[in-house]
Amino acid sequence: MKFTDYLTRESCIMDLRASSKDGAIRELADLLTDQGRIKDEEDFIKHVREREMLGSTGIGNHVAIPHCPTQSVHGVVVAFGRSKQGIDFQSYDGSEVNHIFLMGTNPADLNIYLKLLATLSRLLNDRIFRQEFANASTADDLIAVFKRHEK
Amino acid sequence: MGLHTIVVSIAGSAASLVTAKYAIALAKLLSVKLIALYVVDKKVLQDLLKSRIFVDAEARVYERDLEQQGAGILERIGKMAQEKGVAFEGMLMKGTVSDEVLNKVQELRADLLVMGELKEMTSRAEIFYDEGERILRRCPCPVVMVKNPAMVEALYKETVR
Repeated sequence: MKFTDYLTRESCIMDLRASSKDGAIRELADLLTDQGRIKDEEDFIKHVREREMLGSTGIGNHVAIPHCPTQSVHGVVVAFGRSKQGIDFQSYDGSEVNHIFLMGTNPADLNIYLKLLATLSRLLNDRIFRQEFANASTADDLIAVFKRHEK
Repeated sequence: MGLHTIVVSIAGSAASLVTAKYAIALAKLLSVKLIALYVVDKKVLQDLLKSRIFVDAEARVYERDLEQQGAGILERIGKMAQEKGVAFEGMLMKGTVSDEVLNKVQELRADLLVMGELKEMTSRAEIFYDEGERILRRCPCPVVMVKNPAMVEALYKETVR
């Protein structure tokens, strides 16, 4: 199972319009809803916000991974958004967030979801991956970086 | 001498039921007890906590959910074994999947381990991190890796009580 089995060029927004945390989550959720991946968008967003209230998913290095398990999604869903101006996600390192991975899972697919989160975490810990990933200017480039580092 | 115990390692996927069906058919054929192991993967939860993707309260909820999922799967497999007249025991454990499975195989002096097919490996790093790969390489007893779900379904159907 690869991260790029779930993150596709169609689920990437390379220039988010939103300038707030809530706005970015909604913009990415809208994309997944349009793709038929979310059954109940409001419920999904509610669960993502509830998770954010436990503590920010801004994990540092300008990356945030808002996520939640909920019955409101089909299988495991992943969307990526890039904010050029940066968004305040209350990250632990104080950095503004430029790269957002919105993820969700149906509880039936919890094991897959945890493995994908672990894969993403491992990739983001790699300085070279982070550099190439930040430099990718199109969705195709971004997916290519993931594919190269998953090999 | 002879065989006494088969152990089957179960994950949370749908493919696990195929693995379980093969193990049940094999246990019936050999007239041995089947022990199914489900391990709540605490290592992945700890890794996600360390990388700040999870917070404590959240990790505890995931752990509880995985535990419930595991108990549900073991119960289901237990019923399947019972229907085929196979002596069965389910064990729910927590920890690093490969360590827990291998320790239990050793402790039970299992004669055979049945496990699911390894996922496709795309990198050396993935081989290094894969729990199934570790089990396969370090297991002290013979290992059967289940493939071909259609064949397994047919075999399972043929297995009569």
